[in-house]
Amino acid sequence: MGSAKANLKRKASNIEANDPATTVKIAQDSDSEDFGDFGDGILNAVLDDEDSEDDSYSFDGEGGDSDDGEETGSEYDIASEDIPTDDEGGENKLALTNGTTDLDKGEGEGEDEDEDEDEDDQSNYRIEKDANGGIRYVYDEIDPVYDSDDSDAQDPTNTIGDIPLSFYDSYPHIGYDINGKKILRPATGDALDSLLDSIELPEGWTGLTDPETGKPLNLSRDELELLRRVQMKEVPQEGYDMYPDTVEWYTSHVEQFPLSAAPEPKRRFVPSKHEAKRVMKLVKAIREGRILPYKPPEEREKEEEQEDEVHYDLWADETPRPPNVMHIPAPKTAPPGYDLSYNPPAEYLPTNSERKAWEGTDPEEREKTYLPQKYDSLRRTPAYDGFVKERFERCLDLYLAPRVRKTRLNIDPTSLLPKLPRPEELRPFPTVASIEFTGHDGRVRSVSIDSSGQWLASGGDDGTVRVWGLSDGKQQWQVKLSSEDPVDVVRWRPGQDGLILSAAVGEDIYLMIPSTMNPELEQASRAILDAGFGYASNAKQQTTATGARKDPPAKWARPGARLENEGVLLKATVRSPIKTIDWHRRGDFFCTVSPTGQRSAVAIHTLSKHLTQIPFRKLPGGAPQTASFHPSRSLFFVATQRTIRCYDLQRQELVKTIQPGCRWISSLDIHPGGDHLIAGSYDRRLLWHDLEMSARPYKTLRFHEQAIRSVKFHPGSYPLFADCSDDGTLQIFHSKVVNDLMEGPTITPVKMLSGHRVVNRIGVTDVTWHPHHPWIVSGGADGTCRLWT
Amino acid sequence: MTEFPANDNIDLKRYGLSRIINSSSMLDTPSPIPFDFLINGEYLRSSLQEYLQTNGLNAEEMLNVQYVRSLIPPVHQASFEHNDWISDIDVLSATSRAGVWSGDKLVLNQDRIVSASYDGLLQIWDPSGKSMARSSSGGHTASVKAVKFLSLTQIASAGLDRTVRIWKYAESDGGLQGTLKPSLELYGHKASVDALDVHGPTGRVLSASADGAIGLWTTSKSSAPAAPTNLLPARDPSPRSGNYPDHTIRTIDLTTSKVENVITTSHPLLALTPLHRNPGNASSSVLLAAATAARHITLVDPRVSATTTSVLTLRGHKNMVSSLAAGPDNDYSLVSGSYDGTCRIWDLRSVRSATKSEGGGNVSESVYVIERESLKGTKQRRTAGEVPGRGVKVFGVAWDKTFWHRQRAARIRWCRSIGDRIY
Repeated sequence: MGSAKANLKRKASNIEANDPATTVKIAQDSDSEDFGDFGDGILNAVLDDEDSEDDSYSFDGEGGDSDDGEETGSEYDIASEDIPTDDEGGENKLALTNGTTDLDKGEGEGEDEDEDEDEDDQSNYRIEKDANGGIRYVYDEIDPVYDSDDSDAQDPTNTIGDIPLSFYDSYPHIGYDINGKKILRPATGDALDSLLDSIELPEGWTGLTDPETGKPLNLSRDELELLRRVQMKEVPQEGYDMYPDTVEWYTSHVEQFPLSAAPEPKRRFVPSKHEAKRVMKLVKAIREGRILPYKPPEEREKEEEQEDEVHYDLWADETPRPPNVMHIPAPKTAPPGYDLSYNPPAEYLPTNSERKAWEGTDPEEREKTYLPQKYDSLRRTPAYDGFVKERFERCLDLYLAPRVRKTRLNIDPTSLLPKLPRPEELRPFPTVASIEFTGHDGRVRSVSIDSSGQWLASGGDDGTVRVWGLSDGKQQWQVKLSSEDPVDVVRWRPGQDGLILSAAVGEDIYLMIPSTMNPELEQASRAILDAGFGYASNAKQQTTATGARKDPPAKWARPGARLENEGVLLKATVRSPIKTIDWHRRGDFFCTVSPTGQRSAVAIHTLSKHLTQIPFRKLPGGAPQTASFHPSRSLFFVATQRTIRCYDLQRQELVKTIQPGCRWISSLDIHPGGDHLIAGSYDRRLLWHDLEMSARPYKTLRFHEQAIRSVKFHPGSYPLFADCSDDGTLQIFHSKVVNDLMEGPTITPVKMLSGHRVVNRIGVTDVTWHPHHPWIVSGGADGTCRLWT
Repeated sequence: MTEFPANDNIDLKRYGLSRIINSSSMLDTPSPIPFDFLINGEYLRSSLQEYLQTNGLNAEEMLNVQYVRSLIPPVHQASFEHNDWISDIDVLSATSRAGVWSGDKLVLNQDRIVSASYDGLLQIWDPSGKSMARSSSGGHTASVKAVKFLSLTQIASAGLDRTVRIWKYAESDGGLQGTLKPSLELYGHKASVDALDVHGPTGRVLSASADGAIGLWTTSKSSAPAAPTNLLPARDPSPRSGNYPDHTIRTIDLTTSKVENVITTSHPLLALTPLHRNPGNASSSVLLAAATAARHITLVDPRVSATTTSVLTLRGHKNMVSSLAAGPDNDYSLVSGSYDGTCRIWDLRSVRSATKSEGGGNVSESVYVIERESLKGTKQRRTAGEVPGRGVKVFGVAWDKTFWHRQRAARIRWCRSIGDRIY
């Protein structure tokens, strides 16, 4: 800002330049402009001083301004650089001193100028009157001294430039000087003149002609001297001193005290935060060891050497280790025995035969690598010749023998098996055969125990049905139903209200009342059987579309006097041979399955009405094998060779199709709880199904070597089921079924019962459980039934 | 007790030791009494040396040998044959229960055996095997399951025809012929009656039926409500039949017909007999021996209520134990018949603690095994899987001081009862 004002003033002063009165000022201005190159502060101070004389008002403002500028500058400095350095202070001080001294200086200079002006007045010009009578300054010619670098004083130079002189050969001149005058060709003398010239050589003759001037080029003495110096490789300038004495332009002497008397600034006394920060940084660095106290290099090297040479004793604090898996100590050499002594007892010394034997054997096969030897004294003991070899072999052994513990994967195969409870904990279950029921001629095909647990019924190939006392094995009753056909199946009617046995022979179902010396029960049973006769006679005959009488699915009738006397009271004949009978739990319905019976394969019979129904007109999946009622719900299961279908009898629809995944289902049974089903198959599989879950088996048990003939759940309170197979064995399983949906049933095989003989590759044909005890009865192809308890 | 060095006697067996005891230096018995020797609850059956070897004992150790009067093994004396299986027998002799009840009326040498058969007949035999009498018509219409002498002249029987029948038995003067006439038919049970017990002086008959009921009958014609008889000990409600699923022994007060005590076992029970301990003493107690279908006999203490307090388990039978009889002359012997075709005599003093596989508790083993006479000598090798005692099941035993009887049933038509005399 100050400089701008100065410029304005400079302009103003230039305008007034014509005024002779102000010449001094102009000169002063020009001088002060020179100063302005050095710095504003100086100029300002000078100008301000001048301004203060005429305008005190502006002084204050400008001075304040300038102060402001300084302050802002210093502030900026502080802001930009954290560290208030002494340099700044010095600058300020310098500025201050400049400020103070400039005034004096300015005054001093002003005086000097005045003196110069005085001299110029005398010599520089003279005042003349011009044509108008005005004053005219006429300046003298400037006489350039020798030092002057005015080149105009030289000879007129040719200005033709680079044009060859031959261009001017036809002209009398050779070019033009700076004023446009022709430079005339120097006159060329005669040959005689030149000869003379050559005899009387002028000083500095070179024999050359200056091309520019056409004159002979002579060299002065100085020039020759210069050339000589150049030739001599000396400094060309004469009198140049390469090593002059030092002139101390600035003093090297340091003053002790500051020149300024200004009071010390406050920050000299206030502890610097920045410094504190720096100190803390350093302290931290020292603490962390980044800054180390200075040490002489030799000492440091020594220390470093010492540090390098620190040795640790690996075994200083070693404690005997417990035998670790990975730590295998090197085998110790055995301590020497008596036979290694130089003077061993006589019994250690080898006999001749031993010595020969030792020498005879291969060195590698010797038990000892040495022979005990006796010496009179230790002095006579020779050096051990095998020492080096032995050490070497020992070292080789330690080095090469891999003392690595090999981790062998030792998995106990039994641990991979699922955790099953021990069979002993799952008692009771049948374990031994207690009673054998013998009497059947030929195979026993089917066995059944009545709901009271007293009577066992069996039917066999001899066409008889026999009833045995279960607990004593005494045959109580017998009837021969057929002389040709075997009794395929016998089943007791459930319920305590009567004692009715059903048996199937060929196409006939016989319902009989075995005599158990219980007239009331027999009477009740007879009433149950006879109740349906009225219905049968009253029932309408079904007719076909043509009006002809349709054949009823079954004929219910009395079996004939002979059988009636023996207790067989009812006979129902269906169209094809029956293989299985299953009673509904209420004892009024039973279903029969005749696998060859095409459309009427499955029949449901109503005992109280003597009525036979064929619920399935068409059964998908081939011939049905067996059928069963659900123990608690109105469901009906029909098993074909490969699938089991579950029908709802009330709503008459298919509920579920179960696919056990076997080839030929032989039998099925439903858990008394009602949620599970087991099926046995002729391809040796026993399949457990969870009815709530998928159609695929929950468990497949393949423990038999031959076809499974029959499977049965214990009907009572024991969580047991059993199957029987053609390999002559029964297998008893314990099945824990819990209500928890998250947990599946636990099936544990507990016992294999063997004892039945296998006849014609048929073993055990049927099993049945005692209703109350963990007892099972099996019927075999060897003609016996066995009670297993 | 005497201590004596056994060095010179180490190869002695029971007989030698018994002779030492009988010798004048020890007991000085006028006539030699056979003794048995119990070492650690086991009867010595071999020489001392072998015993030491088998038990791994040092010969220098002290052995505590207890000598007891030995149970003399029964000797087969006679066999009696029926046409069908025999289901039960009872004995009448001076020392049998019925004989005691009859008192002086019993003539000497009037020992009789009654046997019941599955063909519904009762038969009276004299000890020599002569058939004295056979039940005539009007008897049981089906198998007889139990028979008991009520007194010298009365026999009670029960069977599959759901009746309990009282028979009158009379003999001719010479004791050569007898007659057996039905005198009373007691109806009431709804299923076959499987077991009987009688009390002669009051004429009470207790019957157990497969229908789960116990009947208490009086034999007097006037079937007035009977005076209370508490003499009879508790009876298993479901002997023989296994019909009861609850495997319990119930003590029933006959006066009030209340169940006093229920003892639950883990197996079906087939027979029950009381063993009187210290009879006549104030501290007399009854131990019940129950034959189970699980091939052992459990002795339970009925005094402790509500829980099974199995005092002792007698193991050894190979099949279901069907019948039991207490020893007549002491309170620690017992005979059992089993479907495996053997009878076993047990001594309750020979006790050892059971191994873990046997389920803990105390276990005893039989002293003697009486095999079937017909099978003796024919040491057929038992084929694997054959049912033990096939065809030679023992259905009933009776033990008396005078006699001891057992009978077995064969599966073929001939059946017989065998009486073996002890003394």
